Amino acid sequence: VVSEVVVSILEDDAAELQLYADESYTLVVPATDGGKIELSAPTQWGIMRGLETLSQLVLFDFDANAYTVDNSPWNIEDAPRFPHRQLMIDTARHYEPLSVIRQVIDACTFAKVNTIHWHLVDDQSFPFDSPSHPELAAKGAFSKYERYTDADVASIVEYARKRGVRVMVEVDTPGHASSWCAGAPEICPSSSCLSPLNPATNATFDLMADLFHDLTGGEKRLGLFPETLMHLGGDEVDTSCWGETPEIQAWMDDNGFTEDDAYLYYFNRVTEIAIAQGREVVGWDEIWENFGTSLDPTTIVAAWRTWAINSTDVTSKGYRMLYCPDSAWYLDSLDTTWEARYAEEPATGVAEEDEHLVLGGGGQMWGETADPSDVLPTIWPGMAAIAERLWSPRDVTDTVEAAPRLAGFRCLMESRGVPFAPITNLISRSAPSGPGSCTAQRRRHV
Amino acid sequence: GRNPARPFCSSIMKAMKALLALTLGAIATVTHGQVWPLPDSVSSGYTNITVYPSTAFFVYDPRYGEAGSVLKEAFTRYHDLAFPHGTMEDKGASMKYLNIALESFDESHPQLETDESYSLSIDEYGNGLISAQTVYGVMRGLETFSQLVVFDYDTRTYQIAGAPLKIEDSPRFAHRGLMIDTARHFLPLAAIRSIIDSLPYAKLNVLHWHMVDTQSFPFESTTYPKLWEGAYSKQERYLQSDISSIVDYARYRGVRVIVEFDVPGHAASWCVGYPEVCPSDPECAQPLNVANNATFDLIESVLGECTGKQASATDAPSGLFPDDMIHLGGDEVDTSCWTADEDISAWLAEQGMTEDEAYAYFVGKASDIAVSQGRRPIQWSEVYDHFGTNLNKGTIVHVWKDVTNVTEVVANGYNTLVNVGYVDKSWYLDNLDVAWAAVYSKDPCEGVPDELCPMVLGGHGEMWGETVDASDLEQTVWPRMAAIAERLWSPKDTTDADAALPRIEAFRCLLNSRGIAAAPVNNADAREGPPSPASCFEQRRALRF
Repeated sequence: VVSEVVVSILEDDAAELQLYADESYTLVVPATDGGKIELSAPTQWGIMRGLETLSQLVLFDFDANAYTVDNSPWNIEDAPRFPHRQLMIDTARHYEPLSVIRQVIDACTFAKVNTIHWHLVDDQSFPFDSPSHPELAAKGAFSKYERYTDADVASIVEYARKRGVRVMVEVDTPGHASSWCAGAPEICPSSSCLSPLNPATNATFDLMADLFHDLTGGEKRLGLFPETLMHLGGDEVDTSCWGETPEIQAWMDDNGFTEDDAYLYYFNRVTEIAIAQGREVVGWDEIWENFGTSLDPTTIVAAWRTWAINSTDVTSKGYRMLYCPDSAWYLDSLDTTWEARYAEEPATGVAEEDEHLVLGGGGQMWGETADPSDVLPTIWPGMAAIAERLWSPRDVTDTVEAAPRLAGFRCLMESRGVPFAPITNLISRSAPSGPGSCTAQRRRHV
Repeated sequence: GRNPARPFCSSIMKAMKALLALTLGAIATVTHGQVWPLPDSVSSGYTNITVYPSTAFFVYDPRYGEAGSVLKEAFTRYHDLAFPHGTMEDKGASMKYLNIALESFDESHPQLETDESYSLSIDEYGNGLISAQTVYGVMRGLETFSQLVVFDYDTRTYQIAGAPLKIEDSPRFAHRGLMIDTARHFLPLAAIRSIIDSLPYAKLNVLHWHMVDTQSFPFESTTYPKLWEGAYSKQERYLQSDISSIVDYARYRGVRVIVEFDVPGHAASWCVGYPEVCPSDPECAQPLNVANNATFDLIESVLGECTGKQASATDAPSGLFPDDMIHLGGDEVDTSCWTADEDISAWLAEQGMTEDEAYAYFVGKASDIAVSQGRRPIQWSEVYDHFGTNLNKGTIVHVWKDVTNVTEVVANGYNTLVNVGYVDKSWYLDNLDVAWAAVYSKDPCEGVPDELCPMVLGGHGEMWGETVDASDLEQTVWPRMAAIAERLWSPKDTTDADAALPRIEAFRCLLNSRGIAAAPVNNADAREGPPSPASCFEQRRALRF
């Protein structure tokens, strides 16, 4: 019987939870009874990853009525391949209550996912109760009940931090922002043409600076989101409203801007604000497609249109990227199987010396048809496949080998209270097709 | 990403809704602060009370008794439920605590006759009181209180509207349950705890645990330890200590747990460990072997573990399942495997019994065992349909078949539970195409004369598990279980579905905010997700008006 785990934090016992935090650990389970389990790591974040591994090695033996670790001794040296392993949640298409976000965070820790990318606002709703601009949520939230106070946000970020999970906020502009217009009509082109946000007036950038300050506290590692990375969106910008709004057209003429120039101007201005507040900017890949190397060199490109943008396009120019492929890693793509998600390789074609520029990436849980009733079984098992791709060595690609481990992981997650859809589903979040063990769901025929 | 931005969409939809509202008349607004299920009587005024979530918010007078752990934990739990955004500055709140008064501090396992009535009053100065007979009545009052409190984002305060408030409340039916099925899919303890958490939110007070069936036997029997070889896998099992922890978890929430060991049909999984209790042909393995005394020895022993072989008393709960009732199944018994089995068929001839008489004999013996162990047996419809007034008078007939005449059953002196499946107003939660309003419209005493209605104890939502496991349990149970909950708690004339719609929509949103994955109310198909982006409070399908 082993009844002690010796935990040693080797280096910095107050390591910050940011990108590049050391999550490595060593776990030794002795061969014989009477020994001690030893877990050591440079930081407390590595300790947490090691504890997760240990918790998965321990199994209750119903026949022996005891907790056991099979196949000992274990000598595990582990570290993630990619430092940024995220799940994106979308609280604009459907409001997600705090209790659900906490459940999502808990589940992420079980798969060593270390970042929540919080897509906070979008066209449909603006749930964040901005202290500097309360009218945004007062008029833009779905209802008077579907909001997040700053205290709510702080409690979520702290909940995540205690579990070694970073929270990166996304404030998506200038497109995807029509919900802002009810509270702040002055920053939108006109009442009949709501989006993208108006680049021609300083009112827009003043508001953005205020809002960012609500989120960042104005300084590096401060504020509601102390995370250094801040996602500014920048996707799917249809600039035709700018051309159709006389004041904006006039402003573009004055400055000699095409609509595309105005888009770059907009993105550069919000990037400056974020950088001045101690942040590094992440943007969707349209910014790369449109602006390429005129982007600030610290900008991180979140590649989602991977049919058009290869990882090498970005990394060969020295920029960092996140791999977030549409369909393959979009969790709302319900007909993508776990095997297809598992097969993705973020660093395809990337030169070895540039691989460090691929920070990682993750699963995107767009919320159009996801709300508290179905969000968790839509995230899992897809996110589990993605989580292994981002943590484990590059050559761990065999789905035949992985399938029974994933089935076991499913049972484990369910035993921890995480609704985890059958792994054999051809359509995500479908119900199990009939009675059976949690490990042996028959493939559901569509 | 991916979907093109539709900047006009939300403003056009708002305009359309406004137009439709004008043309079709007022559509009741969905708001928090209403109570589900509807209390028996409510009188209210027009004063808003600001509430401050003091640490010791629920206070009782210790001269009248000592709060035990059940009551103390209820105070902690309801503090978090009523005040989910934590504590902010006190901005001159008038209500900083709520008085609790109760007759009896006894925390024994609740039973059928446990008094759950309460009254809740809050005057216009914020003085509040919940008074009740029992700790469980207090809990029902706390639930009501937690639904009245609304967080106001604009002022960052908690508010109660409608003071002075006076609520007098008690359930119409004493027995209001949800059945879970851990045989068709194993449900991990975490999933069972989550579903138990959700039951008191709708003042449900029974968990009917359909423990085993044809497909699997997950239960640990200490006297017949090979029975759980019929489990799906070594990991998909319940230790007795697991079960005790669940029963106690339920007690803390005022929920009774009634176990079902369905016999003699639905029992092929028993044969794995003890083939001798089944017909000898593995291809024709059920019902359980009526001809072998070993079968009844096993049943007596397993039930004995459940009951401790005696009735429970106040402060002396007995067995793994201290509830006064125990469910013995008895449904869907196809006796052809008895006549096909040489030994059984010989025994039938020897006894001079037909197959049907042998069925009666079996369920009668099982029932006698339960009675001898101090429990009231519950048995499914067929047992009455076949044997009528030959049934033990204490038996509770569990009506699930449309053909059973409830009036006749109760007129013959039997208590019943009523939850008919496979009909328009089905209370079988796996009948996915039955919408909440149909569920709501079913009265358990439908067709029963008023003076006999008290013989109907209540009913359950039945969550059969063929396509339900931990990945989809909550969204299949809720929100239709809420319709059942109100039908069983609220006054008989609470039947207006139009009036109920905004309230059940708000209740669904409340469940979501408490981490329960309740599906959209207006689904055509239960448990499907929302069709498109929307407020939780406005998830109406456009064509529903």
